[in-house]
Amino acid sequence: MDAVELADVQGLILRSYTMPVARHVGLVVRDAGAARGFLAALAGGDPAVPAVTTAQAWTAKPDSCVNLGITFPGLAALQVPAQVLASFPTEYAQGAAARAAFVGDTGASAPEHWLAWLVDPGPHLLLSMFAQSPEALESTATRLAQAWSPGLAELGRHDGNWLPGDVAHFGYRDGFSQPTIADVPLAGLPDQLPPAPVGEFLLGHPSQHVGFTYPVPGPPQLGTNGSFAAFRVLAQDVDAFAEFLAEQSARTGMSEELIAAKLCGRWRNGVPLVLAPDTDTPDPPIPAEAFNDFDYVGDHGDERGYRCPLGSHIRRMHPRGQRVAGGGGYLHRIVRRGIPYGPPYDPGHPRDGQDRGLLGLFIGVSLRDQFEFLMDTWGNDGTFAAGLGRTRDPLLGAQPDGAGSFSIPRPEGPVVLGGLARFVTTRGGAYCFLPSITALRYLSSHCGTTTRSRAPG
Amino acid sequence: MPEQSQVQPVQNPLTLLMKAKSPQDYTALRQIVEHVQSLPPEQNPIVAALDKIANVHFARFVFLDPDRLAVITTYDGGFDSYINEFINELGAVFDGLLAHVQDAPPVPVQTYRKEFLDYVRANDLRCVGPFYSAYPTYTVLDVLAATAVSH
Repeated sequence: MDAVELADVQGLILRSYTMPVARHVGLVVRDAGAARGFLAALAGGDPAVPAVTTAQAWTAKPDSCVNLGITFPGLAALQVPAQVLASFPTEYAQGAAARAAFVGDTGASAPEHWLAWLVDPGPHLLLSMFAQSPEALESTATRLAQAWSPGLAELGRHDGNWLPGDVAHFGYRDGFSQPTIADVPLAGLPDQLPPAPVGEFLLGHPSQHVGFTYPVPGPPQLGTNGSFAAFRVLAQDVDAFAEFLAEQSARTGMSEELIAAKLCGRWRNGVPLVLAPDTDTPDPPIPAEAFNDFDYVGDHGDERGYRCPLGSHIRRMHPRGQRVAGGGGYLHRIVRRGIPYGPPYDPGHPRDGQDRGLLGLFIGVSLRDQFEFLMDTWGNDGTFAAGLGRTRDPLLGAQPDGAGSFSIPRPEGPVVLGGLARFVTTRGGAYCFLPSITALRYLSSHCGTTTRSRAPG
Repeated sequence: MPEQSQVQPVQNPLTLLMKAKSPQDYTALRQIVEHVQSLPPEQNPIVAALDKIANVHFARFVFLDPDRLAVITTYDGGFDSYINEFINELGAVFDGLLAHVQDAPPVPVQTYRKEFLDYVRANDLRCVGPFYSAYPTYTVLDVLAATAVSH
């Protein structure tokens, strides 16, 4: 058995923290030696500095958690040797801005419109904090800032917080669909699929693909037990979404809630359409622990999408056992760590001009085969499943300028919703390597030719 | 609306040429291919794999004298998109063939995925364009759903 060293793995890869506030801070290296010292402190080397949270089981839930991502320019700024840099995957080395068009970040989502701190050159480190209260967040942030300030400077930050009712801005409860991972008890809810091998989320372990372990970059102490994350700041146009629901409800006679459910694949309270196609409050009720316990084939078979449309958001992002081109409906799973940002939307005061959306980390052993595949092949194209044509994900797809469409299959013929706009705009992103604790120590002690040299730029 | 045949097809051609290392290897390739293809469909691993990956419309092996084997298919989407699934299902078949092929990538293919993809790219003649399709917007899964063929 391939035992996972939970104490060596960053916690957010393998477990949900369920904390109501978060902050992501972009840092740039000013002094490589001092920055490496900060990494040593994050690895637990300094009792005054909050250490990176690992996946080890908690005896008591902490007040706050800390995790760290390093971009490719960040590894270079930390003076990782060139031959080690060259061993990292191409898409990570190119970075989020260079890969933008590939994942649908075009038009208003293109990098030239991104938040300044996430482009040119963008952050070297992405420090993510999660906390049980705003006070705990500030306390952690203050202690970390004292620790990083000799070697690093803050480029920018984004705060997130839970919304009333535990929903995201479009009104859906979120976070039910996380992968179950073999030998990792803290991972997702039961889902009727084979558990993902740990190598789908951690480097250095056999992956979900037959006879294949993803190449481990660098020496083993750098790559093993690491992972990759796409950090995304995703603005949500709640006005446009609410107007679309109202218009389509008036046009089709379907309730706004049913249309919202069909677009997502779940009712707004999280109940999956496959299990409850007609009501969000089935009798007997479905417990939340069972909200991910279904498939599109088998007992609740819905091959034609009469319950859950083939093109709905959750069915595109995770087709499970459904027949798809390639046959790998559950070979592209990702871990999603998201939290809303911005004030709650008040339908009584629409068009308030407030920026709101989601801060997300989309995690997997391969950015190319997981995050990018989802966006490119399943999110922004439809040729992977029968009858979807060139359509895109109704919630996050890069719709062609208000000209997208969404088909709701019915036995008597489909209802097609036209005029679908782009509801989610990317405001920035960063491709991050999530190093293990061993790797933090390696980076802090094995890189750089001098201890106080100044990084270029 | 353009004629259907003028739309950029969702399908793509693969014309993979594999050159035998020697006359003996050419004979060995012939024996492997003819043996697999002589199996009943339910025992033919290529049929099972193509049924599962469900994005190949047509596939055939053709021996081009005097020393080359051609794998000719029409498939949906980009070859890269489903390369992992392709290798998961067909890697073992290619392992057997590549043992007899000149300038072959390292095997097992399932371990050396990037090298296999690079080999296919370098040895795929595709076609002299345009690639004609009578139904350019329909994928394998579209056709199967429309004709209600179930597997």
